[in-house]
Amino acid sequence: MGNKQTIFTDEQLDAYQDCTFFTRKEILRLHGRYHELAPHLVPMDYTNDPDVKVPLALIVNMPELKENPFRNRIVESFSEDGQGNLSFNDFVDMFSVLSEMAPRELKAIYAFKIYDFNVDNYICKEDLEKTLNKLTKEELTPEEVNLVCEKAIEEADLDGDNKLSFADFENMISRAPDFLSTFHIRI
Amino acid sequence: MRRMSVYPQHGTALENLGLTAHEIQQEVENNTSELVSDLSDLSAGARFQAIRSLPMSYNERKAIRNRVNNIKLSKTILPTDCRQQVSLSFRRFRASLTSARQRLVVWQDTLKEIGGRFGTSVLSYFLFLKWLLKFNVFSFVINFCFITIPQIVHAPNISHVTGFRGLELLTGVGYFNQTVLFYGGYDGEVIVSKPAYNMQLAYFFTIAAYMVLCGLSLIYSMSRSFQKNFVLETGPVSGGAWRLLCSWDFSVVNEKAIQYNKNNLGIQLKESLSERLQMKNKISLSDRIKHLSLNLVAWLLCLLLALGSGAGIYFLGTEQLTFSFNQDPNDLVSEASTLLLPVVVSLINLIVPLLYSLIGKMETYSNPRAKIYISIARNIILKMSLLGILCFYWLNFVPDKIPCWESFVGQSVYRLLIIDFIFCLLGIFFGEFLRNVIGTMCIQSLGVPEFDIARNVLDLIYAQTLAWIGIYFSPLLPVMQVLKLFIIFYLKKLSLSMNCQPPKHTGRAAQIQTVFIALLFFPSFVGALSMVAFTVWSLQPSDQCGPFQGLKTPFHTIFNWTDSIQGPPETHWVWWIFENVLRSELFYYLISLIVLVITFFLWQITQGRKQLIKSLREQIVNGGKDKAFLLNKLQNIQRQRREIASYSPQPIRRSMRGSVRTVAQEFDQTTYYNPNWINTLPMDM
Repeated sequence: MGNKQTIFTDEQLDAYQDCTFFTRKEILRLHGRYHELAPHLVPMDYTNDPDVKVPLALIVNMPELKENPFRNRIVESFSEDGQGNLSFNDFVDMFSVLSEMAPRELKAIYAFKIYDFNVDNYICKEDLEKTLNKLTKEELTPEEVNLVCEKAIEEADLDGDNKLSFADFENMISRAPDFLSTFHIRI
Repeated sequence: MRRMSVYPQHGTALENLGLTAHEIQQEVENNTSELVSDLSDLSAGARFQAIRSLPMSYNERKAIRNRVNNIKLSKTILPTDCRQQVSLSFRRFRASLTSARQRLVVWQDTLKEIGGRFGTSVLSYFLFLKWLLKFNVFSFVINFCFITIPQIVHAPNISHVTGFRGLELLTGVGYFNQTVLFYGGYDGEVIVSKPAYNMQLAYFFTIAAYMVLCGLSLIYSMSRSFQKNFVLETGPVSGGAWRLLCSWDFSVVNEKAIQYNKNNLGIQLKESLSERLQMKNKISLSDRIKHLSLNLVAWLLCLLLALGSGAGIYFLGTEQLTFSFNQDPNDLVSEASTLLLPVVVSLINLIVPLLYSLIGKMETYSNPRAKIYISIARNIILKMSLLGILCFYWLNFVPDKIPCWESFVGQSVYRLLIIDFIFCLLGIFFGEFLRNVIGTMCIQSLGVPEFDIARNVLDLIYAQTLAWIGIYFSPLLPVMQVLKLFIIFYLKKLSLSMNCQPPKHTGRAAQIQTVFIALLFFPSFVGALSMVAFTVWSLQPSDQCGPFQGLKTPFHTIFNWTDSIQGPPETHWVWWIFENVLRSELFYYLISLIVLVITFFLWQITQGRKQLIKSLREQIVNGGKDKAFLLNKLQNIQRQRREIASYSPQPIRRSMRGSVRTVAQEFDQTTYYNPNWINTLPMDM
């Protein structure tokens, strides 16, 4: 609709617009960013849907993710294979969920996946300890870490199985209105 | 299957129930068709929002979207190509609207940078500033188009008493006196053109329409914000779980800022741990009485300070008036003395909040959030009482004593705004820059100053109240406010990066945002609106200047206009509506009654929902207990069976032993204990 670009077909751009929270311009800009990560790997022409995946090590070097304590988990949660290799669709998906237009329920689902380090669909005490260590480094002693995690489970666990299921997590999120604005990465 | 099983229950349940791969596929296919048919029943906008919110991978979402589109296409009666083209172009149009709207957003990159370096709570201050800017730009545009341009085009002969001197920029008198900047520069004539343009009506309706639109926009924002942020708080919310899992700010990308946030989080967790240990000791009764009395004393002091400042301003104002406003335009000294009042007001606004924070240090609060709210309340009381005294003085004493009193009020507001701006600049320099220098070089213990969001936002609210009050008396005042907000945005950003650090306690930022918007509506906007309404409704406009010369009150323009349209039959119905509906009290009683009844019903519905949430929560807890009980029981039965199976009494014949062993083997094979059995229980208990 205006500028002639040859990266995507119009159909593809329509599909991106319908299925993600981005506009055509933003999708093209995202493609530029994706290409920058691995110029020799990512083709400029996506009209025939090439099967290209950028490895984890290159993606976590993006300025938006570089300093984030959860960068590895974020990228892993959005990858098909769980190892952190993102295709362009996964890449767009990631930033779409993390954008400010994504609804709370969608963000809660992915936040749960990010905090679930051992990928067993529950946030257990070990997951909380890993989260805490990523967030505070060496500030707290091991006993304090233990206490904090126990207290967290005590507060949020509703069905009494000593770990947080998705329902518990979502219940906690619903009482934290700031979550929508803090779980947000601008690109 | 990896991405589909985001809902933990469904995925693992299917796997553990031992279904074959084919049956799982069948189940997934059923779910997908259900989803597709649900989606195709929604309206277009809701459908696309729902598709975007599906927690699946992109390819799966695209597949579902294609299926939904096919279904929609097959349901129509128009030929396929035409319908497809129409819907496609419609979607593209909507998307281009969104992107065009995004391009109009000012400061997009700057805001991203601020959010990345300082976090979302500081960003909320700048977003608030941007939102206020929109109000002022809108006001300027409609005032300029509807009032100022006709006046300039049809300018009456206004002779300037003096040339332009520099002092006008500060005081607003002199050269500016008879220009379109103030009320006095406007004329109430009917401009003879095709069609006739009635300046009186234009002035009245433009200001009224702007106020009404502002009010509606504020109410809408306030209710949206309230709905999003003030959720039902049952259970501990400021605890470790929330801080650990929901409070980390993902949008911060700057390394130093992230380190800073990590330190803060560690400190807060340690504090909450130690608080928890301390809370074990209950506060004694005498301590509580002591705290309460300290709070009362502090409140008394603050109210006295506010009253004292109000009285001081009042006496200063009346003194200035009795000083008899010297009409000699060359008397620069007396003109400069009119700046005394604004300077004193700004000084009070600067010093008294500092005193309030000192007083606040001597109190103790159990809840740190209560402390913030009480300090906001005190500051708002101070600022609004100052403005209230000023308005009272302007509306009661000024109209009798000064010939063109609306221009005088407009000029006073202008002076207040300019001096407030200058003090803001000084505040940035002294309050932040010098304080940073002192804190880092001279007195190390003070440290870098924190960016006090509450104080800055209250200053913005105060300035906006002044601007709203001044719109009626000085239609082009929003220009100044726009310039001021622009400059403050960039200066604050600069000062923030050079001098300050983000605030340490960033919890509950969303709720404080709602409080700020609510404060902007009441008392700020409502106060300004009531002052303007009082002026329009009951005060006699000045005889010598302005569009409403000669009328009893400005509102009489409406009466004159309705009288004029009473005659011609095609406009008779407007007059009828005005006379019999809008002017009769019965109409307003009925409306109030209906609104009250609807509010009562909605409140009852809310109460019912609260009950429902409580009972659902209890159900979840009971469900967990049931699970634990059943698990225990099963484990006991397993243990018993294993004991029976392994029990082999001594004097037993060979054949019996063999048969016991085979029976035991049978038991072992049939007792298949799946440790993950708990996942197979249906979650919707």
